[in-house]
Amino acid sequence: MASPVGQNVGYIDGAERVRGQVNYVLNAELPGCLVGRILHSPVAHARVLKVDTSKAESVPGVVAVLSRNDLIDNPDIYPYYGPVVRDTPVVAIDKVRFVGDYVAAVAALDEEAAQEALDLIEVEYEELPAVFDPEEALKPGAPILHESFPPQRGATFADIIFNPGESSNRLNHFKLRKGDVESGFKEAAHIFEHTFRCPPVQHVPLEPHVTMAQVEAGRVTVWSGTQTPHVVRAQVADIFQVPLSQVRIIVHTLGGAYGSKCYPKLEPLVAVLAQKAKRPVKIVLRREEDFLTCTKHQAIITLKTGLDREGRILARKATCYFNAGAYSDISPRLIKNGGYATAGPYRIPNVWVDSYAVYTNIVPAGAFRGYGVSQAAWAYESQMDMIAEALGRDPLEFREFNVLHDGDTFATGETVHDMHYRELLLDDAKKAIGWRDGKEAWWQKPPQSGPKRRGRAITCVIKGSVTPSTSSASCKLNEDGSLNVLTSSVEMGQGAKTVLAQLAAEAAALPFEAVTVSEPDTDSTPYDQQTSSSRTTYSMGTAVTMAVNDAIEQLKTIAAEQLEISPKDLETRDGRVWVKDGSRSLAYTEVIRKSRVGNIMGNGTFATTGGLDPETGQGIGSVHWHHAAAACEVEVDVETGKVDIVQFHSSCFAGRVVNPRLCELQIEGSTLFGVGQALFEEMLYDGGQLTNPNLSDYMIPSFEDVPARLTVAAIEHPSAGEVHGIGETSVPPVMPCVANAVYNATGVRITDLPLTPEKVLRALKEQRS
Amino acid sequence: MKKLVSLQVNGVEREVAVHPHHTLLEVLRNEFKLFSVREGCGIGMCGACTVLVDGKPLSSCLLLAPLAAGKDIVTVEALGQDKLHPIQQAFMDNTAFQCSYCTPGFILTTKAFLEENPSPTPDEIKEYLAGNLCRCGSYMKIMDAVLDAAKRLQPQAASA
Repeated sequence: MASPVGQNVGYIDGAERVRGQVNYVLNAELPGCLVGRILHSPVAHARVLKVDTSKAESVPGVVAVLSRNDLIDNPDIYPYYGPVVRDTPVVAIDKVRFVGDYVAAVAALDEEAAQEALDLIEVEYEELPAVFDPEEALKPGAPILHESFPPQRGATFADIIFNPGESSNRLNHFKLRKGDVESGFKEAAHIFEHTFRCPPVQHVPLEPHVTMAQVEAGRVTVWSGTQTPHVVRAQVADIFQVPLSQVRIIVHTLGGAYGSKCYPKLEPLVAVLAQKAKRPVKIVLRREEDFLTCTKHQAIITLKTGLDREGRILARKATCYFNAGAYSDISPRLIKNGGYATAGPYRIPNVWVDSYAVYTNIVPAGAFRGYGVSQAAWAYESQMDMIAEALGRDPLEFREFNVLHDGDTFATGETVHDMHYRELLLDDAKKAIGWRDGKEAWWQKPPQSGPKRRGRAITCVIKGSVTPSTSSASCKLNEDGSLNVLTSSVEMGQGAKTVLAQLAAEAAALPFEAVTVSEPDTDSTPYDQQTSSSRTTYSMGTAVTMAVNDAIEQLKTIAAEQLEISPKDLETRDGRVWVKDGSRSLAYTEVIRKSRVGNIMGNGTFATTGGLDPETGQGIGSVHWHHAAAACEVEVDVETGKVDIVQFHSSCFAGRVVNPRLCELQIEGSTLFGVGQALFEEMLYDGGQLTNPNLSDYMIPSFEDVPARLTVAAIEHPSAGEVHGIGETSVPPVMPCVANAVYNATGVRITDLPLTPEKVLRALKEQRS
Repeated sequence: MKKLVSLQVNGVEREVAVHPHHTLLEVLRNEFKLFSVREGCGIGMCGACTVLVDGKPLSSCLLLAPLAAGKDIVTVEALGQDKLHPIQQAFMDNTAFQCSYCTPGFILTTKAFLEENPSPTPDEIKEYLAGNLCRCGSYMKIMDAVLDAAKRLQPQAASA
């Protein structure tokens, strides 16, 4: 029996998927369950003077209305949450801080009654000046969003360096100090300084946020489409002030997430509303409400880069403003990743980074596929091409000259290993695009004539995975030789259940079909920090393998007694315990049945260590480093400004591939996520009001936006013993790759995303005048 | 006020009490418990709630339930109850999905499409399926699946 690892086994539940039978939380039902709806703030910043729910409560069919009146002076509820800083009220208490903030909620027998009640809730606001831009928000005299907040921290956020501003909108400041940046600039022969901007964008998972909750006999049970069941459990337990064991979070398959379903979102509100209603309550957000849950961070990043005469990067100073929006969510951590990432995958001896998370009156920003690295890479990979051109260098050769090799130190001061940029990733990208196919190099070809101009580019990025982190898993080896894997990893389309089953089957020497993988249920599945950060296959995969190995060792001990031989002389193969000389064997079934142990339980915990110094940002930033490259060719219509990506190739380092087709799907998906952000995705605000919260005005890539030729490569290396996560590393290279190719085609440099036809056309006009 | 409406869903005629403002999507989910029909955008832009109405793919969020009376409504639950339909099999064999939320909509749109055009080119597939969005970005594999399904549905393949 061959190991299923490395094979294209299809999704473990593929038939259910094509039959439309996936059990999303959207489908969850309980007898007597009420429909919940939320009243959102219509203003960006205001003091809440009065909330009167009496008329709403008298609407027939309304069971409960939740407002601040239920939270103020209520000793049973701690009314704030937030994964790092508890700054987010269950519903507005003293202020509202963005258009869309939760003000009140209704639980009713049906949608109609709930909607009628929402319209009858009377709220008086005293409007306050609002601020939307992170640089404006840091200026003296700017309106302050949070005058004070309780600086509580969750235990799982030990890696976060917390450095808030006093009475300011500075939520956090990440500092990195490597070498002596000023002397680096003094030595430099060339210094470049540029500013790059990217807007907030939305994840748009097709399944919106859905949560159902029930509070009964002192126990809180929440069904939710969350990527972080254990974080949500801890936060709900804090709100109700009960032990963790009294809170149960159940997660089914998610209809897409991409970071949007990390950390508490609807759960606190729905759970408190269900408690008040004394009945289960379910809330399904409408699309326009889902746009108000969480976004990618808007960012403004200035890079000053110094190089010696040969083009070696000597120093880089980065100043990053990440717009956190109205509440903290995970911004305090994200600015660290987005901060150190500004050094890129390059050898730079002197690095200085100031990265700020800033409160403003827009939708809170949080985890988004790429996690800060997209914003950083937009800046540094754009600038790499700008510098290469100024120095008269081939941009690919300029990257190869500066890129990290094994044994180099990254910006965080740690030595990097398993770096394959030059010989694998850039080489693969170069070949895919035909970087030098012909006599002349693309980067220095003569100006083209005619309305359609072609250009090419290559980019590369580095990305960490959250460190330190912890995953644990259990398994039950059953008396019939089947295996249950108990894990809190969330299946959200990435194929977690399938891949974990492949790894478990290999460790157990059982066929893939013998393995069943659980859904998260915090009453029974072991702790996992989060399903994000491209960490599941590596971290949970390792924990699952350890758990299975633990069970197999126990099985061998039992079999050794039955065979009257030492366990050391046994091995497992094809669902049987064999004496190593091949003379005798027992099926797992026989061993377990005869021993009467019922089943064999195995446990495994995988914890990584590391962290960065709070003053210098030096230490261990990531247990290992993810890396990716991209190459593309665009055609720009200089009469309309439209950018057409005619070819795109993504290369992602995978170490050891567990499931080739699922890897391809992840990399293709990441690439298309990048294409949307490169060309058209942008949340547009007018005075704090989001003006495009629907799929008519906010476009996501359709079949017609797929590049005419799209290829991907999950790159393996025999020396890489480890699996590398590939869930998001191919997003960040896309946006600068497209912009650099547009520059190559037209000589027009766009430094603020997205590259809309209007923007490109305007730049072309400026270029001509 | 709810009104009784007679709907023919997956070959079975049934009377249901619906508000006149309820969409077919709401009624299929809430009354018929057909959970393959899923709201993505609520305004007919994403195709996740696609059903076949008299054989044509339609966003069920855009059709008021009373207006669906007398029409033949098909959801993916009607396909391949025992054995997978060739289109379902092609989507499964080509792993043409990630989170799968959009999959029933893609499968039904493909069914209508291949009945109209049994041997489509990739460009025709892109154009016809442009109204179904897959946020996970599984389009490359969906293309493979649709081409594969077209082959499986050719008369000679069926008789072979």
